[in-house]
Amino acid sequence: MPSFVFQPLLWGLLLVGVPVLIHLINMLRHRRVPWAAMEFLLQSQKRNRTWIMLKQLLLLLMRMAAVAAVVLVLAQPVLRSEWGRLFGGSKTHHVVLLDDSFSMADRWADTSAFEQAKAVIRRIGAQAAAQQQPQEFTLIRFSRVGRERRGSEIDLLQVTVDRDFEAGLERMLDDVRPSETAAGPLAALAEVRRLLGTTDDERRIVYLVSDFRTREWNEPTELKNRMQAIASDGAELHLVRCVDQQRDNLAIVSLRASPGSRAVGVPVFVEVAVRNYGASPARDVSVLLEENGQPRPAVRIAEIPPGETVEERFLVRFATAGQQQLVARLETDPVAADNHRYVTVDIPLDVPVLLIDDERAADARALSLALAPGGRAETGIRPVIETPRYLSIHPLDDYRAIYLLDVPHLDRSAVAALEEFVRNGGGLGIFLGEKSDSRFLNDQLYRYGKGVMPLPVTGPAELLVDRLQRAPDLRVEPHPIFRVFAGQRNPFLSTVNVTRYFATPEGWDLEPDPGAEVIARLRNGAPLVVTRPFDDGRVVAVLTTAAPTWNNWGRNNPSYVVTMLETQAFLAGQSGDGPDARVGTPVRLELDPGRYQSEVRVFQPGEETVSPSLTEAALADGAPVVELDETDRSGIYRIQLFRNDGGSEERWIAVNVEPDGGNLETLDGSQLADRLSGVPYQFEQAGTFRYAAGDEPGYNLAEAILYFLVILLLLEQVVAWWASYHPAAPRAALAQGGAA
Amino acid sequence: MPDPKRFLHPEAIRRITRLDLRARHIVEGFLSGMHRSPYFGQSVEFRQHRQYTFGDDLRYVDWKVWAKQDRFYVKQFEEDTNLRCTLLCDVSGSMRYGRGALTKYEYGCTITACLAYLLLRQQDSVGCVAFDEQPRTIVPLRTKRNHLDDIIQAMDVSEPRDKTGIFPVLRLVAETYPRRGMVVLVSDLLVERPGLLRGLKLLRSRGHDVMVFHVMDDDELDFPFTGPTRFEGLETDDALRCNPRALRQGYLDALGEYLAEVRHGCVANKVDYRLLRTSQPLDAALAAYLSSRLSTHHRN
Repeated sequence: MPSFVFQPLLWGLLLVGVPVLIHLINMLRHRRVPWAAMEFLLQSQKRNRTWIMLKQLLLLLMRMAAVAAVVLVLAQPVLRSEWGRLFGGSKTHHVVLLDDSFSMADRWADTSAFEQAKAVIRRIGAQAAAQQQPQEFTLIRFSRVGRERRGSEIDLLQVTVDRDFEAGLERMLDDVRPSETAAGPLAALAEVRRLLGTTDDERRIVYLVSDFRTREWNEPTELKNRMQAIASDGAELHLVRCVDQQRDNLAIVSLRASPGSRAVGVPVFVEVAVRNYGASPARDVSVLLEENGQPRPAVRIAEIPPGETVEERFLVRFATAGQQQLVARLETDPVAADNHRYVTVDIPLDVPVLLIDDERAADARALSLALAPGGRAETGIRPVIETPRYLSIHPLDDYRAIYLLDVPHLDRSAVAALEEFVRNGGGLGIFLGEKSDSRFLNDQLYRYGKGVMPLPVTGPAELLVDRLQRAPDLRVEPHPIFRVFAGQRNPFLSTVNVTRYFATPEGWDLEPDPGAEVIARLRNGAPLVVTRPFDDGRVVAVLTTAAPTWNNWGRNNPSYVVTMLETQAFLAGQSGDGPDARVGTPVRLELDPGRYQSEVRVFQPGEETVSPSLTEAALADGAPVVELDETDRSGIYRIQLFRNDGGSEERWIAVNVEPDGGNLETLDGSQLADRLSGVPYQFEQAGTFRYAAGDEPGYNLAEAILYFLVILLLLEQVVAWWASYHPAAPRAALAQGGAA
Repeated sequence: MPDPKRFLHPEAIRRITRLDLRARHIVEGFLSGMHRSPYFGQSVEFRQHRQYTFGDDLRYVDWKVWAKQDRFYVKQFEEDTNLRCTLLCDVSGSMRYGRGALTKYEYGCTITACLAYLLLRQQDSVGCVAFDEQPRTIVPLRTKRNHLDDIIQAMDVSEPRDKTGIFPVLRLVAETYPRRGMVVLVSDLLVERPGLLRGLKLLRSRGHDVMVFHVMDDDELDFPFTGPTRFEGLETDDALRCNPRALRQGYLDALGEYLAEVRHGCVANKVDYRLLRTSQPLDAALAAYLSSRLSTHHRN
C-alpha cells in the first residue's frame, strides 16, 4: 500500500464523481426537437445501441480515471513495499556536505549563512527520521577532510536514522561552528566517493550545503568532474545555497613588519593592508592595533574603493628583546574571521654583524662607522671586526650578516663555514679592493656559480675620469637597497666617484648566473653591485672598496650610510619573522638536537593558563621536528622549547586566515549552471529548501502516474472522437444555432 | 426593373402570407423568364404574337405580318388542354417540421397553390385533396379562375393530425376521379412504404399520370444535430434522448435505404418522382411539372 506525501489531497478523489455529475446534468439540459423522421432515428438507435453504450461507458470511465490520476499526481504516492524496492527505493542515504569555511559566518539580520545551513540539515534529519523506510545519514564538513596530515574526520558516517537520531543531530549541530579555514568543496566531494563507494544497494542523495562563493568555483573543471562522478554513481545532487546576496566586507589581508635591521629601540615599519570586498567604498576605516596585548593608536584609512586594497605603514619601536606580537583588528562586519590578523616579530637586543678584514681594517672601520654611527642614531647593529681566521674557528650562527672586506684569501674551512652560514639564511656582503685576488674569488668563492660569489671577476680596472661630468659614475637600478633614492634625482649619489673596480669577464653581463641581478652599474656600464640569493640567504657583492680608497663614496657622503644600512637590512631581512602560516595547514618547526630536547609544549591561541601536555617531536632526517597540525584557529601559537641546559624558551607562530576568504562574491543559480553544464543537479535556496517530494524514500509514483495521465488524456480524446463527442463542424454548429 | 424571379426563393416568398398571391408571384415570375412557351397550344382563341425563335413550329408563323414587316412572328393561342389534374396535398403533423424559411407544410402548400394557379391559367380542371390520416377536404375539379381560393382554403388546416397509411387516401382518389387525368402528390411520404407503392400503382392502373413531389427538410436529409438532444415524434409518441452525432450515420443509412426504395417503387410504376428540399427555389417543382407535361404532350 503506497503512502502519500500530501495525504489530505486524497479527498480530491471525490472529484471522480464530477464526470458522472456532468453527464447527469447534460441529460437534464438536453434540447427538445420535434422530429418527423423518427422511424430512421429509431432504426439507427436500435442498430448502434450496444456500441454507443460501450463507448459512452468507456469514455466516462476514462474521464473518471483522468480526474483520479490528477489527484494522485498531486498527492504524490510513494511505494515502499517490496514492489517499491524493485524500483530502487530500498534504503535512502542522505550525505550532507557542509561548508564550514569562515565565509559561511556571513551574518545578516538575526541569522547567518551557517545558521541557515544548520536549519537545512535539521530539516533533512527530521524528515528522514519521519520515514518508515531505512535511512542513513552522513555529515561531512569541508574543513575536516582533505587535510595534509591529520586525515579526514567525519562527523557522522552512515549513521542509521532511528528515533533518537533527531535529538542527537540537534545536539551535534549545537556544537558546530564555522571554522576559520577557507576550505572548498573539492575535498568533501572526493571524500564521498572514497568513503561511500557506489550506490549499489541504496538510494543516495548528496546535499552540498554551501555559500557558493565565486572564488571557489572559478575553476570548476575538477569540481564538475567530481560531481559528475558522484552523479554517475547513481546519487542525486542537491546544491543548497545558504546566502541570498553578496554583502560588503572588509578584510585585513596582510600585516607584516618591513624587512630591515631589528633591534630593541630601533623603529620598525609595520605594514597593514585592508581590502574592500564590497561594492561600495568604505570610508573612515579604523584599524585597531595591539602590541603584546597592549592597545596602540589606531590607524585610520580615509577611503578604500570597492575591490581595492589600501596599505598603511606605521612605526613600532619595541622596548624589549625577544618575541613580539602585533594584532590588527577591524570593526565588526558580516564576516568576523578576517577582521583580525596576527604577526610575530623577533626583536633581538642588537644585530651582531661580522666584518672580516685584515689587521689594518680600513674598510671595516669605514663600514662599521656607517652601520653603527653611535650617538642618537640608534641602528641596533653591533659590528664585530675580525680577521679571516675567525671564520674557521668560531661559530657564525649568532651573526645576522657577514661582510668580507677586501679579503685576499680564505682557507677551505672558512669558505665552507661561510657557505653554510649563507645557506641557513645569513646575509653575506663582499667588498673588493687592492688586496682581492681574482683567482681566489673565482676558484674558491665563485666556483663556476656554485659558490657564494654571485659573479666571476677578471681583475682591477680603472674607470676613466669624466672631466665633463656628463653622467654620474654610479647608476642604480630599482631595488630595495636603493629604494630610498628611487623617483628623484639624488645629488648625493651623483657625487660618487669611482676610480677603480673589479671588472667582470666579457660577456658575463649578457648571460649572468641564474638569480644574479646587477643593481648598480658604473658610468661605462660595468656591473658594480650584484646580488644573488644563495639557498635561504642572500649575497651582495660590491666590486669596489668599502673605504674611500677606490672611490669617494664613504667620504662625507650621506648616501653611503643610507646605502650600507639598507644593504644590511636587505641581507638580514630573511630572518626574524615567524612562518606566514594559514589556518588549517600544518606548521613545521625544526629543532636543533644539540640545543633542545625533543619534547615541546604547544599552547593554542588563548591558552594562557592551561598547561597542555608535552608533545614529542617527530624525527625527520635524524633531527626532531615539531609538526603543529591542529591550526584550526587563527592567532598566536606558542611552542615552548626545553633547552638541554635546563632552560626553556618560546617560539611564537602567527596563524592567520586565508586573505581572500573574505571575498563574499557569490554565484546565483544561472552562474552555477554555466559552470556545471552537463552535471545533473538541483539547485535550491536554503530559505525555501524543503524535503522535496522527489526526496521521499521509496519509489515516488507521481511521475509514472503523470505519464499515464498524458496517455489517458490522449486516449480520451480518441475515444471521444470515436464516440462522436467532439465539437461539430462549422456547418453543423450553424444548424445547431438555428435550432435553438 | 425588379427581378421577376425574386419570389422563387423560399426566403423571399415567406414574406408573402397570402397563398394566392404567392402562387401568382411565383408562376408569373417563373413564366416571364422562359423564351419559348412550352404549353401555348392549339385553340381558337388568339392570345398574342411573339417573335419567331429557332425551333418554333413553322405552322404558327404569321405570314401576313411577314409580308407587311418582313419579320417572322408566331401566333400564340390560349391552350385548351382539357387536363384534369388532382392535387394531393399532405397536411399531416409530420409536414409541420421545418427550421428553414418554410416548413414542409408551407412549402408543400405553396407548390400546390402554384400548380393550381398555373393549371387554372391555362383553363385546365384542377381539383385538390388535402389529407392526413384520411382526406380532410376534397375540392372538385373546376376550371374557374376563382377556384384557386377553394383549393387554398382546403389546404388551410390549423390542427394537423397523424397519417398512418396513405393507401386509403390514394384509393379514394382513384375511386373519386375515375376519368383519366393527372394526379400530383405533394408529401413527405413518411408513411408505410407498401401502402404508398400500392396506392401509386392503383392510380397508374386507372390511367392517371402520377407525379410525386417528395418534400423533405434539410435537417431530415443531413441530420446536422449535435449535443444532447431529445427527439420527439411529430406523429407518434416516440421520443429518443441521444447524442445525435453518434446516431447520425445510422440515421442517414436508414434514410438512404428508404429514399432508394421509394424512388425504385416510383420508377417501377412509371411515376414521376422529384425529391424537393425546402431550401430549394420553388420553381423546381414547376419546372419538373412542365417537363413532365411536355413529355406527356409529346407522347400524346
